[in-house]
Amino acid sequence: MLFPDREALPSQGFHQICKMKMFSVAHKTVFVVDHCPYMAESSRQQVECDVLTKSRAQGVIPLAPVSKSLWTCAVECSMEYCRILYDVYPKDKLVNYIVSDSEFHILNSWRREDQSTHELMSALAAVGPPNPREDPECCSILHGLVAAVESLCKITELQHEKRIALMDTADRVANRGRIICLTNAKSDTHVRMLEDCIQETIIEQNKLAAGSDRLMAIQQCELVLVHIYPQGEDTLVSDRPKKEISPLLTSEVHSVRAGRHLATKLNILVQQHFDLASTTITNIPMKPTLNVCEQEEQHANTSANYDVELLHHRDAHLEFFKSGDLHMAGTSTRENGLKETVTLKWCTPRTNSIELHYCTGAYRISPTDVNSRPSSCLTNFLLNGRSVLLEQPRKSGSKVISHMLSSHGGEIFLHVLNSNRSTLEDPPSISEGCGGRVTDYRITDFGEFMRENRLTPVSESSHDPSGKLPAERAKAQLERHTRYWPMIISQTTIFNMQAVVPLANLIVKETLTDEDVLTCQKTVYNLVDMERKNDPLPISTVGSRGKGPKRDEQYRIMWNELETLVKTHAGATDRHQRVLDCIIACRSKPPEEEDRKKRGRKREEREDRTEKNGSKETDDKSWQDSERLKGLMDKDEQESEVIKDSPDSPEPLNKKPRLTSEEIQPPERTKGPVSLLTMWSNRITAVNSRKHQEFFGRASSVNSKFELYQHLKDENGMDVHENGKATR
Amino acid sequence: MPTVVLMDVSLSMTRPVSLDGIEEFQRKNLAVHGLNMLFEHMASNYRLEFTSLMAFSSLWELLVPFTRDYNALQEALSNLEDYDKTCVEAALNGVSNVVQQEWGSACPCQVVLVTDGSLGIGKGSLRHSLQTLKQRGDDKKFPLPFPFPTKLFIMCIANAEELQMTDAMDNLEELLCLSGGDGQIFTMEGPLCMKSVQTMFGKLIDLVYSPFHAVLHCGNLSSDVQVFPRPEPVVMDEEVEPMPRTVSTDLEIVGFIEIADIASPPVISRHLVLPIAVNKDVDEVGTGTTDELEEEPSASQMAGKSPNFCVLLHGSLKFAFLPLSKKKSNLMMSLFDPGPEPLPWLGKISHLGPISEAADNPYGEDDSKSPFPVQPQVKRSYAQNVTVWIKASGLQTDVQKILRNARKLPDKTQTFYKELNRLRKAALAFGFWELLKGVADLLERECTMLPDSAHPDAAFQLSHAAQQLKLASTGDSQYAAFDHNIVPMHTDFSS
Repeated sequence: MLFPDREALPSQGFHQICKMKMFSVAHKTVFVVDHCPYMAESSRQQVECDVLTKSRAQGVIPLAPVSKSLWTCAVECSMEYCRILYDVYPKDKLVNYIVSDSEFHILNSWRREDQSTHELMSALAAVGPPNPREDPECCSILHGLVAAVESLCKITELQHEKRIALMDTADRVANRGRIICLTNAKSDTHVRMLEDCIQETIIEQNKLAAGSDRLMAIQQCELVLVHIYPQGEDTLVSDRPKKEISPLLTSEVHSVRAGRHLATKLNILVQQHFDLASTTITNIPMKPTLNVCEQEEQHANTSANYDVELLHHRDAHLEFFKSGDLHMAGTSTRENGLKETVTLKWCTPRTNSIELHYCTGAYRISPTDVNSRPSSCLTNFLLNGRSVLLEQPRKSGSKVISHMLSSHGGEIFLHVLNSNRSTLEDPPSISEGCGGRVTDYRITDFGEFMRENRLTPVSESSHDPSGKLPAERAKAQLERHTRYWPMIISQTTIFNMQAVVPLANLIVKETLTDEDVLTCQKTVYNLVDMERKNDPLPISTVGSRGKGPKRDEQYRIMWNELETLVKTHAGATDRHQRVLDCIIACRSKPPEEEDRKKRGRKREEREDRTEKNGSKETDDKSWQDSERLKGLMDKDEQESEVIKDSPDSPEPLNKKPRLTSEEIQPPERTKGPVSLLTMWSNRITAVNSRKHQEFFGRASSVNSKFELYQHLKDENGMDVHENGKATR
Repeated sequence: MPTVVLMDVSLSMTRPVSLDGIEEFQRKNLAVHGLNMLFEHMASNYRLEFTSLMAFSSLWELLVPFTRDYNALQEALSNLEDYDKTCVEAALNGVSNVVQQEWGSACPCQVVLVTDGSLGIGKGSLRHSLQTLKQRGDDKKFPLPFPFPTKLFIMCIANAEELQMTDAMDNLEELLCLSGGDGQIFTMEGPLCMKSVQTMFGKLIDLVYSPFHAVLHCGNLSSDVQVFPRPEPVVMDEEVEPMPRTVSTDLEIVGFIEIADIASPPVISRHLVLPIAVNKDVDEVGTGTTDELEEEPSASQMAGKSPNFCVLLHGSLKFAFLPLSKKKSNLMMSLFDPGPEPLPWLGKISHLGPISEAADNPYGEDDSKSPFPVQPQVKRSYAQNVTVWIKASGLQTDVQKILRNARKLPDKTQTFYKELNRLRKAALAFGFWELLKGVADLLERECTMLPDSAHPDAAFQLSHAAQQLKLASTGDSQYAAFDHNIVPMHTDFSS
């Protein structure tokens, strides 16, 4: 079987997002570093660490330069490889670090918590440098290579999770990996022996893995053997490009001098292995105002421009590659001739304006030279919350902002911004579409609603007794908050009343405390008090000619609406029910239907027609619909007369309340023949019931019991109200 | 997603279609009929699509640049002229240029190629193009795959049997494959007539140009919407999850988040969310008596006047985020990468919960703070002062930092030991014991060079530090532990 290097191909088909496969060879990387006595040899690259300043130089003998051992070179370059890898892929691109001498030492595991340079450095310190006095005959890199193959068979957390999630298609989870071996080999023959040994071990281990749950057979293994030799010596091992040893194993050999050559080699390898590309930010001003790490700078007042090179996933350059703009976009080939970098120009950020850019990708970055002053100035600037737009130089000389650097939660991302014409330009105006001509939406109320329904990250460890995920609970909250939520001002009275706010805020809660119930009850008593004092209400005058409904009718509308709101929550808990009980007990009862007969025929016809037009809302919970509908119809009919409703301008008081007499009136229409209105109401009810979603009674039943046809009382009340409105 | 219609106007398109003695059509007439049908459909149901019309034979011509003016497209169709032979490669180069000039190389595009399946002869024929595919220099590359993501629909004014008699079908299949494999080849079924061309274009319309209707929910509030352009299926990892993920027709709002917190997120695609009126009533609009007709509002007028959740949501979002903006705006939906955690700074989407559950409002009572961004558990290298000595300058800087502080002892005792310990840790991890000895020597030298005016504590601290480094450089586990720190020597010069 062949496993072609798929991630090297561009993505095919446009529903593909160009990403590395989850279980490509890049998922698992084993470092095997030679810890045998010869690695203690000097690299012969000397570092002068005693840099004497002129003033102190006289009479002082400078310290002899120090030189790193082959081991030190190997370790620090492998750490740099891991640093870049962990910066760009903090998750699920895993490293297992093995050291080999007379035996193997595994310094960490595939577990996510073991994946950090700090963990590895700590383990390396415990190992220490190779012991030059150890018997070289007992030591071999082979111990480590065999352990590496065994380690590649071990299942990672991600492989385990995906296998569980995929159930019967668990075989889609592949097991591939890469071994990077840093050693000092003796000859090409020695290298071939190592390859053969790895091949044999893979076959052996795959047999073992077949019978285990925690092991997986290796489908593809890529060996990258880096032969390290001291400066000034000739290499005994030749470079060799990648070749297939077997369908399971490919191998490549890099013969590199210790020191900076090794560092460059591993930097190139990490880019190849993880699909990285390089961007150089130019023209970064290091003015004291922009600079956060200036305290040690001797000449802080000079302002110079600096360049900083960053590594990131190569998809951040996708557009350049495709458009062929790459070579115009200030690409330069490095001295080593192997790496390219794309140059983007810093654009000094404006003030901290919050903008939502059209961004087509965001990729984590890692500075190539993390400790250099320009790098740390740039990263600190970004970590402090500033964003920087980057400009792509084009051959035409035009300015195009193509990228943005920004940090989120201590991680810096290179955002790719869309700089092409939008296919969504010139969309239809919202005012021309559905609902576009309605002018009294409860915009500010919904703004407050959005604020209350904002989200917050909930820690995964916090357990909810309902067993629901936080996002499900957020949706449940939205459901509760919208059980009764009129969208326009003229559809509601209670939401235009400051006095109702405490109850309206509390009743939507999942559970109420006794104190909450008390607050709700106080709200109700307060309303009763208002009614007794005959305080004006912000009843909609939209659709009514003249003065609108009488004061007592206004209160009845208000009570009906409040009851509708609370009824939708009454079934939740006993305390919710107590609030409803309180309203039912305290509210004024609907008045006699004496003036019902005044209703005109024309209106009925019009409403009948509207119903046929199907413009009506489909819920049938209460009188609301017909009420709302009538408002709309009337508005339609007399647009010039529309007075925008406002809670600040209530109807003037002009009629005496009829509180006392009403309270003892029986609400039912018990006398006289059936009126036209009743016939119409019945029809409306019948039509509505065809469209309804859930039986209201079922939804708000108490102990599975519900008084049927309660709404007839409401409907009855509505009729009277309508009469009142029609009176002129 | 813009559409390019690429119409074959070669001579072979004028071949007549025999229809049992009834009026004769050319294949071109059938093609034009089909395209007219497509344009009419788009004008009424998919009007926001930008479409351009190109004609080709051995040359190509852009007849109508990208537009939403479907009359102009139909007008151009009615004025097609006949030219020489078919050369698909040249035409595809034309498409590539036209699209990239208008939309760049990232914008997905749909190409509708209308041809009779006779794909030219000799040089310039599709057969020749495909045969020479691998013998080309960089400057004469075959235009497929286009740099931009492409869906290629090939509408054949011919039936499959006819195309299979020659290698035309094979060539077209290879063409589709070269373009990336996304798309389809349509052929006519039955006799070549108006009806079968309608059927064929009808299939294209259903597949590609049917509006995406959905319901936007916010709890119990909802609105019927059209999402434009159609959201495309997404495959995240073809090995682990080969089934494409699609967008549900129920779009449920989970909650709200500040623009500053979402912070210019990367998106797969962006879509307009337009409220639409869906007539759910079975009853037709009753017209009643004729004298009331003038008062009868049209269906769209009625829809404009009934409150719509989309408009409320849009208005409130605009008011909340851009209260002063007079700019025209629309409700948009952005699609993130499917998966549990599309934006690392928000954490897992399934773990975003209502603020009401938190003990204290995470946004503060006055909106002065935010629970976002979510911080990763481990800091990145650039945020944690790592030690890298790959370049000599890195090592020199770290040594000089220690020496600079050494000369300012005891004032800089804390910084001195902090830098010393940082160097010590890195040297131990890298097995660079020689450096520890070297720095110890440097500190001892500094000690001998202290001026007479120096505080006596400086000498004590320097020799203490030097001694500790030397002990560490032996690798003795008592002194060379990674997590161990050298602490300042306790001295008391107060008396």
